[in-house]
Amino acid sequence: MQYALLLYENEAIYAEADAPSLEAIITAHQALASELAAEGVLRGGQGLKSSDTATTLRRSRGGDTLHDGPYAEAREQLGGFYLIEVPDLDAALAIAKRIPFAGDGSVEVRPVIDED
Amino acid sequence: MIRKRSVRRRLAPDAPEPEPSIEAQLASDTRLIPDERLRLIFVCCHPAVAPEARAALTLRLVCGLSVAEIARAFLVSEPAMFQRLTRAKRKIAQAGVSFEVPGPQAWPERIDAVLSTLEIAYARAHEDAAGLGAHAGYAREMLGLTAVLADLLPDEPEALAFAALVRFAEARRPARVDTGGAMVPLDQQDPELWNRALIAEGDALLRRAAKLNRPGPRQLRSALHAAWFRRRSLTEPPPWSAILALYDMLLTWREDPFVRLNRAVALAEIAGPATALAELETLDAARLADFQPFHAVRASLLARLGRRDEALLAYDRALALGPAEAERRWLICRRMELRESHHSADLPGECRGPDGKL
Repeated sequence: MQYALLLYENEAIYAEADAPSLEAIITAHQALASELAAEGVLRGGQGLKSSDTATTLRRSRGGDTLHDGPYAEAREQLGGFYLIEVPDLDAALAIAKRIPFAGDGSVEVRPVIDED
Repeated sequence: MIRKRSVRRRLAPDAPEPEPSIEAQLASDTRLIPDERLRLIFVCCHPAVAPEARAALTLRLVCGLSVAEIARAFLVSEPAMFQRLTRAKRKIAQAGVSFEVPGPQAWPERIDAVLSTLEIAYARAHEDAAGLGAHAGYAREMLGLTAVLADLLPDEPEALAFAALVRFAEARRPARVDTGGAMVPLDQQDPELWNRALIAEGDALLRRAAKLNRPGPRQLRSALHAAWFRRRSLTEPPPWSAILALYDMLLTWREDPFVRLNRAVALAEIAGPATALAELETLDAARLADFQPFHAVRASLLARLGRRDEALLAYDRALALGPAEAERRWLICRRMELRESHHSADLPGECRGPDGKL
């Protein structure tokens, strides 16, 4: 079964003096990605630039509007995702536990719609 | 694969009540081996399932209770419970929750959910003193199920304590109903009717739990049962002060209106009915409004305080909630006894004790 692991974290942490640098976290993600690839479970994934680079299009009956910023203003923002293929939710949760964060963070584990 | 399919079948959407669903038929299937039930319990108690849905789902899928019965046990409306169950089943089916019993490394985070679930499920069966209701066989199965759990988890004191608790509670079953079919309250049960072999089994389990040196609420609950077993005959005084002390300890773990209600029964014996009633009035009446024992305890306290009309009303409330037969008989006798208290000779025979006394 395929799962998307959606990573949410507080971006402000990277501005703090004693926080690990963004480069250090990216290196940690690259290490995890090669481990997952070696285990044969990685199907895809990307890191995203910070949420202040986002543009959101909203569609409603009144027409489309654009606004500068992410879909929802929240303390933790979507920062990237992994796409994995594992036998069940427990295996997906076990991988979620290995995801590196600079500070606090959340991983939303979402099953992907089957193609068959 | 066959096992997985049988679990999947149970996750099919609920047929609208009261039409018997495929699940109800499967749950009454006695061919299910204990392991199969254990597997299903672990699925229902998966951490990915909302905590408030786990016990309800287990009662529905493992024990075959109807949505209406579960809604009553959890004091929520039937549509709300139906929705909670539907959502949980959908989550399990769609999110890829494993249908296998998890490896030992996952047990610590699962065991509390599993025990809470079984506790709620067992309380439902235990409520029915005579064991004549639809869930009587299930109460006996619980002995086997908790034995499997205690074997699987020999280092989990709370699992051992819960296995002990089920043995203690079942040991008292022969004494819980009188010859007239009415419930007998704990302090009036003849200790000589209690099943000493089951008590010995429970004692051994509880001692093993205590040796692990990690106290917990289930160990206290088992100790509450065990306190009664020191009584060897009806001529010995009931152990009310020990019971009260244990309830106080239990409340330090978690505030719980149901524990407070039971504590009030002991409190009435130590500090008098007025103190106990005052304690009851502080409880959340809205939450307990559909809980029959709340009205029964309140009625008995009011009766002892001479507030006859209020007591009669409280007995009516208890009876209106449709208790099991033995409880119903007991409530009717208490109510009659109160109404006819001026000329008790007119009381029907089934409302008298074996010695002709009330």
